[in-house]
Amino acid sequence: MIDRRSFSRLLSLGALALASGLGLGGAAAADTVKVGIIGPFSGPFALQGKNFQAGVEAWLAQNGKSVDGHDIEIVYRDLPTANPQQSRALAQELIVRDKVQYLGGVYFTPDAMAITPLLKQGNVPLVIFNAATSAIMTSSPLVVRTSFTTAQTTTPLGKAAVDRGVKKFVSVVSDYGPGVDAEAAFKKAITAAGGEVVESIRMPLNTTEFSPIMQRVRDAGAQGVFAFLPSGPPTLGFVKSFNDTGLKQSGVKLFATGDLTQESDLPALGEAASGMITSFHYAVSHDSDVNRKFVAAAEKALGDPAQLSFPAVGAYDGMHVIARMIAATGGKQDAEKAVEAVKGLAWESPRGPVKIDPETRHITETIYLREVAKDAKGHWINKEIQRFPEQKDPGLAK
Amino acid sequence: MQTALSIALDALAYGMALFIICIGLSLTMGLMRLVNLAHGAFAMIGGYIASYAARDLGLGYAVGIVLAVAGTILIAIPLERLLFRRIYDRSELSQVLMTIGITFCVIGITNYFFGPTLKTIPLPAELAQPVDLGFRSIAGHRLFVIASGLVVAGGLWFLIERTGFGINLRAAVENAPMARALGVRTEWIYAASFALAIGLAAFGGAVGAEFLPIEPYYALRYMVTFLVVVSVGGAGSIPGALAACILLGAIDVTARYLVPDFGNFFFYLAVILIVCLFPRGLLGRAQ
Amino acid sequence: MTRQAPDSAAAARPMRSLGRDSVGVALVAIAGLAGYWLFPDNLSFLTRMISVALLVLSLDLVVGYCGIASLGQAALYGAGAYAAGIACLAGVTEPFLLILIGAAAGGVTGLLMGTIMLRAHGLPQLVLSIAIVQLLHEAANKAYSVTGGSDGLSGMAPAPLFGIFEFDLWGRTAYLFGLALLVIVFVALKLLVRSPFGMVCRGLKQDPLRVSALGISAFPVLLRMFLISGAVAGTGGALGAIATQVVGLDSVSFELSANALVMLVLGGLGNLYGALIGTVVFMAVEHIVAAFNPFHWLTLVGGLLVAIVLFAPRGLSGSIDEAARILMRGKRRTAP
Repeated sequence: MIDRRSFSRLLSLGALALASGLGLGGAAAADTVKVGIIGPFSGPFALQGKNFQAGVEAWLAQNGKSVDGHDIEIVYRDLPTANPQQSRALAQELIVRDKVQYLGGVYFTPDAMAITPLLKQGNVPLVIFNAATSAIMTSSPLVVRTSFTTAQTTTPLGKAAVDRGVKKFVSVVSDYGPGVDAEAAFKKAITAAGGEVVESIRMPLNTTEFSPIMQRVRDAGAQGVFAFLPSGPPTLGFVKSFNDTGLKQSGVKLFATGDLTQESDLPALGEAASGMITSFHYAVSHDSDVNRKFVAAAEKALGDPAQLSFPAVGAYDGMHVIARMIAATGGKQDAEKAVEAVKGLAWESPRGPVKIDPETRHITETIYLREVAKDAKGHWINKEIQRFPEQKDPGLAK
Repeated sequence: MQTALSIALDALAYGMALFIICIGLSLTMGLMRLVNLAHGAFAMIGGYIASYAARDLGLGYAVGIVLAVAGTILIAIPLERLLFRRIYDRSELSQVLMTIGITFCVIGITNYFFGPTLKTIPLPAELAQPVDLGFRSIAGHRLFVIASGLVVAGGLWFLIERTGFGINLRAAVENAPMARALGVRTEWIYAASFALAIGLAAFGGAVGAEFLPIEPYYALRYMVTFLVVVSVGGAGSIPGALAACILLGAIDVTARYLVPDFGNFFFYLAVILIVCLFPRGLLGRAQ
Repeated sequence: MTRQAPDSAAAARPMRSLGRDSVGVALVAIAGLAGYWLFPDNLSFLTRMISVALLVLSLDLVVGYCGIASLGQAALYGAGAYAAGIACLAGVTEPFLLILIGAAAGGVTGLLMGTIMLRAHGLPQLVLSIAIVQLLHEAANKAYSVTGGSDGLSGMAPAPLFGIFEFDLWGRTAYLFGLALLVIVFVALKLLVRSPFGMVCRGLKQDPLRVSALGISAFPVLLRMFLISGAVAGTGGALGAIATQVVGLDSVSFELSANALVMLVLGGLGNLYGALIGTVVFMAVEHIVAAFNPFHWLTLVGGLLVAIVLFAPRGLSGSIDEAARILMRGKRRTAP
């Protein structure tokens, strides 16, 4: 009896959900422009997805929910981990059923690669808030990117390291696409600056115990370590292991991209990462009025200031680009015209001055050298200590 | 030689951290025949409580760990009465389905209340400092983890092999109706051993947080590792689990030192090889 | 044939269940076509559902009919997906040929997997399946030049079906192609599990000792099932590759394997319908709940799984079966 009753209750619940969820997409009202945002809103990368949302809502809070009288409606879709098949299904549904005029978001490269073949047919531009492989930009002329590439953030580290007298390096990267990109970019940069990489170590993505890696670093007798790991829990283990095995005390310098010290991880990393030097395109502590306003709005959207991190700024600037596109096309769906309109677009972003490169459609931005330090209130921050302005993506340079 | 010794020490610490977390799962699977995939979720809850108590309330490391164990058991008791008790004698696949469901819920709820950021458990000064062992320095908490692992192993062995509770537990496992007929309160025994397993998970989650950082996805991220360790050791065997943790820890750490690029390859190849050679686990009980 | 059975009811039983199966197959096809008419804007999602349904069906062969628990079935699915993807990039663009390539790759991987997995039982067997899928995952990540590593394999352009129907944005071709494949595979599998071979497999699941007393050796029988299961999973993988024109590392992951097992147990083991029902229900709920609340849907899905175990112990297909039986009994009682 219980079985039947609960089962039928479940069925009716399911039917209701079906009707509301799948059934009625409905055409958008004439003056509403829909924007579909795909990101990891749940699962192991939920933090990054939340930051997408915070960036979008911060922009809406500051600029209003309409552009030239065209209302903006945001449709969020969850893609928890890299899953190109699901990514394609979500994008197709957003284009065909929800009739979005713009796609934004996308955290992982394969997910972006799955969407790009749809853009031309769907007459929809894609503004990438994060996915950081150079090759995405060449896969469709309707892609614009407001984040960074691993090569872009890595390259300035070469000169910065040699300037600090550290020349002999071991590079340690996670063994997947962006890690391999970072390894190559760093090697190129450090060689150009007159240093050398004596050993390149790639470790599996799911590595949690780093002491054997540190042992190898010690064996190699290098002066410095270049590290790339994707943002997330393992970075904590990596940095702690670097300290615990005595490498830090013995004077080995740790250089990394900002992925390792994203602000939301800093309260946990804290003392362990103190003095660590990273290069990145954005620090939450960036000193400018635009940034302070952005941070205030984004923190409000997040609810918890400790969760704010770099994907939010990619999303915020992505919304800026989309708004310019809407204005340029007068709210009409015209992907080519929209993309054409933002080529060469320059503006003051919370991260500093930026510009959409007209040739590659990738963002040109300042890369900062930062040091993990305490601010006046005793919070751990990435303190900017040097600027490398107008960095393009070396991976797309011809 | 020094390098070898140094790696062996790292391997031992890592293996022991795994052991403390996994031994509870080994007991539930081997003795209670419950495939509890939510075990990692309880370890995670333990970690969260310890972090909250030690970091946010400033109660210190030791108090944090005690609260973690007590708090997690407290959370687990209603779950045991409402959910787990109904699946003790169901098929393994039903157990898998329900415990995965519970894991999903725990992840979702944790994410909702604590947010997706990392949580740390601040170590006391004595454990945070590197200890100089002559040939290398090692973090103090690693020695603490090794010691805790040995104490847990010894204590459990004593409990199960040498006490009245252990005898009753083994009787309930071998033949529950007979044990009941002889006046053993099997329901109580099951609840107590479930609480014991959960308590160990929480303890492991808290002291192992330096190896496996506490975040909402913890419960799924390490599920495979936990399952592999338990099955290689042979479910229900304490020496087996200990051997498996040390062996797999050694393989993992050594492979990552020698060939970091192919670390995972060697780990899983080794698992396949061991399981094929010892299909019942290293020291598993004959089924 | 089976005429020697003296009991007329017993003789009628296979006929009736044959009838029931034809109705079942017809229902699957009708439901599929209904999906096409009802949700014309969700075809890409529905195609993914079919692709995963093939994976779950293949898992049912191993788990439901042979009693071998596996958390590594995506190894076979991924083998098919990558084989089809690589072949497509190499210039083999004919969709039917790609499906065959995927099925063959899945089958070969199935043989390999079976050879290893059949050395153990129970939990160690489960762990072997996990180790195999993790090993393949790592291999696919490492073989960057062939598989695209973590960036995935992209840029394939399968030829139009029959030279006319393109695999485009709206996904009509992909969906109908997938649906046809699913129905064909489903019919083939229904025939398979009814065949003497299928019966032996069931027998091995229920009482291996008695079957071996009949002089049947388990290993070759189960290995053959692994081959077939691999081919079915590989078909699903190839379909996914053709429909989405990308293949990612997720297609050879533990997560996909675990999801497949969850869907199967949710739907009910060992009757093939359960695999389909479980896939459709799980993916639809996930899709709708995730669209409804992209941030906290996991809790709801988890709650659903717990509820299923508590209230529908034999899976959804078991509950439907039971409900139908109770309804029928009620009817028979009222009718004279």
